[in-house]
Amino acid sequence: MSFKRFDIEDIVISSDAAAAPAWSNNVVSLNQFYTSSDQVARTSGDYYYNVFQTSSTDDTAAIQFSIAYGDVVGSGSLDFNSNVQGLSPAQVIYKQYRTLVNGTEETDLTFGGHVSENIYAISIERARFKEKLLPGSLTLKLKTSSGEILLTDDSNYASTVVFGDAGREYELIEGAEGVRTASPQDGIYGYTVASGSYGKFLPDVGVLLLSGKALDLTPSEGGISFNTLRNSNTADNNNNLLYDALELGQVFKLRSEETISSNYVFVRARNSEFNYSTNPSNITGSGELRHDLMIDSPQSYITAVGLYNDNNDLLAVAKLSRPLLKDFTKEALIRIKLDY
Amino acid sequence: MGYLNNAVVTVDAILTKKGRELLARGDGSFKITQFALSDDEIDYTLYNPTHPSGSAFYGQAIEAMPILEAFPDENQILKYKLATLPRGTSKLPLLEAGYAAIRLKQGASLAITPQTLNYLGATSTFEAGGYTATIADTRVLNNFTGVGINTDEAERLNSTTTIGTNVSKTVIGTSINLTATTVNTLFGSNTQLQTTITLIGRDSGARITIPVTIIKVNN
Repeated sequence: MSFKRFDIEDIVISSDAAAAPAWSNNVVSLNQFYTSSDQVARTSGDYYYNVFQTSSTDDTAAIQFSIAYGDVVGSGSLDFNSNVQGLSPAQVIYKQYRTLVNGTEETDLTFGGHVSENIYAISIERARFKEKLLPGSLTLKLKTSSGEILLTDDSNYASTVVFGDAGREYELIEGAEGVRTASPQDGIYGYTVASGSYGKFLPDVGVLLLSGKALDLTPSEGGISFNTLRNSNTADNNNNLLYDALELGQVFKLRSEETISSNYVFVRARNSEFNYSTNPSNITGSGELRHDLMIDSPQSYITAVGLYNDNNDLLAVAKLSRPLLKDFTKEALIRIKLDY
Repeated sequence: MGYLNNAVVTVDAILTKKGRELLARGDGSFKITQFALSDDEIDYTLYNPTHPSGSAFYGQAIEAMPILEAFPDENQILKYKLATLPRGTSKLPLLEAGYAAIRLKQGASLAITPQTLNYLGATSTFEAGGYTATIADTRVLNNFTGVGINTDEAERLNSTTTIGTNVSKTVIGTSINLTATTVNTLFGSNTQLQTTITLIGRDSGARITIPVTIIKVNN
């Protein structure tokens, strides 16, 4: 009498993709970059630098991404133990991403068919990339004193999507927002002359891998003379090279994408239903209606909808912003959206 | 608790505490299968059938009122449900617990067997789905159980124990058993403890709240 069962078509689950700028406060392009001197000085600074959108001491500071340098033979950073040559944070980083992407220790990271023994990784903060990065939304400008380059992914041009251990893999090419800008190099648009692509775009894990080999090329070869230092057992601080290139470039555009599943519930009150109220102000102590005219022309005012399970547990409640008149001449259809 | 913007008709939906609990339980009990409508916050004495401007204005004061946002406490919302009854109905279901007020001495017991009046064409009847009973402060009772309904939910509620805090407890049954506390420290310097018990017909939605007084007898 007070409860009405839903029909099958009354409850609909809808999953919709929502894209948004990746950076804090929905900033479209990150133009300024800050590190935390405190974090850089700690042990974690040997591996990666956290990058903020504002001064790390600011109340609104939030990590946007982390940058790390990796080297397959461990060059560019101090060995953990001088008796074990090459086992250093740089080697840990390289092998960490190699495992993530290739799922095997037998092949090194390959970019557009060319192996690079050293990489730079940009790992987007989880809260920034939400569920995944949106292919075709990347614009990354890296600049050195020798040259500059705009990078994007080749998702608009790849005839087939390559899936690896880290999900979808796209090559980083010269261009912006998914559109290539360079003439063919190495036989392929947006590639370097002799070192393949500029890296990999891994949208499902929120990572950009940059090929150290490609970036180290001269501008005439397609690189920007990154001048990565690969001295053994030496703290070369290559993370600074990438940070400086970002800071000079001043453009990092990226959008995130997530699937939001919503439960739409359609509450239908037919003309003959829900016209009487058990509200104590509507009835006398013996249950009689307060207003005689409501016996034949009852009126009720819907202010709330309760959603129940079979045990009559009230699971969710919806309030209307104003009372909705209901009588024998009116039907009500209320759409409720539940996100969880 | 804020008001909803009533310039346009919108719906503000939230999960209740119970809904969150069942969602977290993950055992399939969070499955929406039915709904009810209510007119919480409406005072029908504002309905004016003698309005000089005519019948279109009888409900003017009600229809213009702003509505509060939804509360997550399932015990504080959907209090007064709208009912589907044949046109011409002049009496609405009422709950009769047999007591206008309950007074129990420490350690004393009582069984409440609610009935629903004016329901399904009968002057008085027991609802097949039973009744939910909520004691506002569970500390004042040593025993608070419902009997007569054997669903999993009823049995789970009846076996739930909350100790030490001033919280409500809900049970389900066709009959509700109460035993007053024997703990003296709850009384402090008072000679009585007071709370309320709310009964709701699980089929009719009819509701009644009864004051409960526990009288100190131990020294």
